[in-house]
Amino acid sequence: MANGTDSSRKISETRFTVVDTELTGLDAKRDAIISVGAVRMTGGRIEISDSFYRLVNPDKELKAPGVIIHEITSEDLLQKPGIDEVLAEFTGFYGSDVIVGYCVEIDMEFLNREMKRIFGAPIRNSVIDIYPLYEWARSRTFFEERTTTMPGRAKLYDIARHYDIAVNGAHNALVDAFITAQVFQRLIPLLSAAGITNMGELMRLCGRLKGGDRQGISSGISNF
Amino acid sequence: MIVEDFIDFLKGVPPFQFLTEESLKRLSSAVSMEFYPKGTMILRQDGPPSDFLRVIKKGGVKVFISTENGQDMVIDYRSAGDSFGLLSLVGGDRSRANVLAIEDTICYVIEKNTILKLVDMSPAFTEYFLKSFLSKYIDKTYKEMHNKSLLYGGGDKLLFTTPVGEVATADVVTAQQDITIREAADIMSQKRCSSLVLTDGDGVPTGIFTDRDIRDKVLSKGRSPQEKVSNVMSVSLIRIDARDYCFEALLKMIRFSIHHLLVVDGGRLKGILTNHDLMMMQGTSPISVAREIEGQQTIDGLAPVAGKINRIVGLLLKDGARASNIARIITEINDRLLRRILEIAEKQLGPPPVDYCWIIFGSEGRKEQTFKTDQDNAIIFADPASDEEEKRISEYFAAFTAWVRDSLVKCGFPLCPANYMASNPQWCQPLRTWKRYFSNWIYTPTPDAVLKSLIFFDFRPVHGNPALAESLRDSLNAMLDGQMIFLGYMANTIIKNVPPVGFFKSLIVEKSGEHKNEMNIKVKGVAPFVDMIRLFSLEKGLRETSTLERVAVLKGRHTIVKEYADELEHAFEFIMLLRMQHQFEQMELGLEPDNFINPNSLSNLERKTIKEAFNLITKMQGIIMERYKPLIW
Repeated sequence: MANGTDSSRKISETRFTVVDTELTGLDAKRDAIISVGAVRMTGGRIEISDSFYRLVNPDKELKAPGVIIHEITSEDLLQKPGIDEVLAEFTGFYGSDVIVGYCVEIDMEFLNREMKRIFGAPIRNSVIDIYPLYEWARSRTFFEERTTTMPGRAKLYDIARHYDIAVNGAHNALVDAFITAQVFQRLIPLLSAAGITNMGELMRLCGRLKGGDRQGISSGISNF
Repeated sequence: MIVEDFIDFLKGVPPFQFLTEESLKRLSSAVSMEFYPKGTMILRQDGPPSDFLRVIKKGGVKVFISTENGQDMVIDYRSAGDSFGLLSLVGGDRSRANVLAIEDTICYVIEKNTILKLVDMSPAFTEYFLKSFLSKYIDKTYKEMHNKSLLYGGGDKLLFTTPVGEVATADVVTAQQDITIREAADIMSQKRCSSLVLTDGDGVPTGIFTDRDIRDKVLSKGRSPQEKVSNVMSVSLIRIDARDYCFEALLKMIRFSIHHLLVVDGGRLKGILTNHDLMMMQGTSPISVAREIEGQQTIDGLAPVAGKINRIVGLLLKDGARASNIARIITEINDRLLRRILEIAEKQLGPPPVDYCWIIFGSEGRKEQTFKTDQDNAIIFADPASDEEEKRISEYFAAFTAWVRDSLVKCGFPLCPANYMASNPQWCQPLRTWKRYFSNWIYTPTPDAVLKSLIFFDFRPVHGNPALAESLRDSLNAMLDGQMIFLGYMANTIIKNVPPVGFFKSLIVEKSGEHKNEMNIKVKGVAPFVDMIRLFSLEKGLRETSTLERVAVLKGRHTIVKEYADELEHAFEFIMLLRMQHQFEQMELGLEPDNFINPNSLSNLERKTIKEAFNLITKMQGIIMERYKPLIW
């Protein structure tokens, strides 16, 4: 397992860094990270006091859409430290934690691009995406949740509302990381009910979900 | 940002609100957040002491202790803003109680040392917790509960939580259906069983033969013991699934007037459930009351049996039954009582000269009666051919309805103050007159007409020829189709009944008079739901009369109900239960049951739930107002 995460370690005793980044756009070649937010979890416990939030000077003009959503303007950012400084600090925050995010591949792509540039290597920690985990959980609880209608590809806030997690107020990378952490918090008891209690089992499930092998999973774990 | 949320939350919660900004900041340096799915045991009695103070952000928990004889005693329900775990944190020895999440619950979790420092530093904070938490309080409670529970004795098994499979007799005695009555009786006495299931050659059950059949169908009818048992066995085999709860079985027994149910599990015969099994489990049984009613030949005989119905409600409440289930059982029994009275009346006064249907309405019509409610009844009779015939019929029913009215009073059903009774000639009419009444009310919706509609439109047949009531229902639905003006009048009545919630979310109570500081749960709680759901049902031409049955049907047909069905069911169940418990407590104290509840006598969780119910009413009223906009004034 990446970066030495012990596969027999219980999920409840594992440290997670739940991360979200805000970007100027989705083009990994041209766009930049404008903020990084993260909150620590120990098992299902969200360590509210232990969070990370930095705005980044992107060295470029911001495109309009991001500005509207996040109420961050170019002027705010020009006063802030550059990405090199922020990531050096962030590396110290996540340490050897398992990294968790919503559709986290995008965040990782941007973070790793910078990491490779600055340190010559990507982040090697284990990474968990809660989106496929949520879909997995939903597919197993259709008896209870049948009446809830979800958009084809669920958005983070829709998922949060589905679990009755508050999503009102202004949004930024930290708030969204916190919302993501709360969704993950709801998923942990469901994982445990499906017999998934240690990191090895969790990473295996994530691997299979990533492969899109939904059939294999539902038949593989039948004690639910 | 997420820390600020936490501090803001604490500022609204005692005792944290007494803390200085600085202390709050210090608290927030050691806080985390946990989620407990409904059903999680968060702390365990006599388990290791808690290292955290938990403040409930959302959800609810039950704090309870298990006594020496294995019963659970609830100490408290706690909800948002309440905390738990302090005592064992301060004591440091063991957990004093079990804490169970009864809803999905989110807690802020504050670390032990931070709390201990606060306890040392902040007098107001400490005082609060001293009052509500400290050992003296809970250890005393602990002791009292221990003693009290001894009085309760061995707990009854719960009618509403016990699956049929657990109490059913597992050994079913079966025999081939071609044996004689004599042989069947021999098998039954040998095996000491009260019933025998007969099967065909393939082992498929075809009938049941019981002790009662020997008495009622063989001995009293003078049949020969040499006859085939298949001639006298009961072929209507009523089945119940082993996983169904016992109260479902009870309902079936009452409905079909039988003592035995075949218990099936996965389609296979698993056992047999008898009336006796249920009585053993339960002490007093609703079915025995229902059967007692059947056995009575006179009103004087019926009256004392009717008196037992309230006791059943008490038992069911104690069993933790849902309000809707209690109401279903009470309805079943009261319907029987009423039918029996009518049968006796027909015997005493001679058969009626015409087809008629006895209808009931109001809460009885909706199957939502709890304790004895006023009589609300009427007669529809078949349209007579001539005026003379109508006169003759009316004369008969005048005597008949007066007799029934007085009998109902003897059985504990008070007169209707508004005189909505069949004994009032206005409400004992041929079908065509009823149709005229309804159309007058709908096409000329005076305030009085709307009021009558609210009461009468929940009618259902209980005795006689139900086709008359069905025909009236058909006409009503046809008349209402597209009658937006009439429905608009109903909508107006509904939105005027504003929930008693004040500006600061406080519950508004009576300011003076006999019921100072109380609120009327029937007018402010039950009625809004009943009235709104009735409106939706009339919009859609439903035939159901009970509020929950209406919701169940409307779920698939009415966009508003579809969206709020779960909330509506939940809120309505809760309000009904609150009212039942209140009335039962009054009756236990020898008081006349009323509808006035003091919100201060409710637990935190109850207050929270009732406020949620009122919020739902407000929300629905808004939707109705929007829908009937042009007709609202």
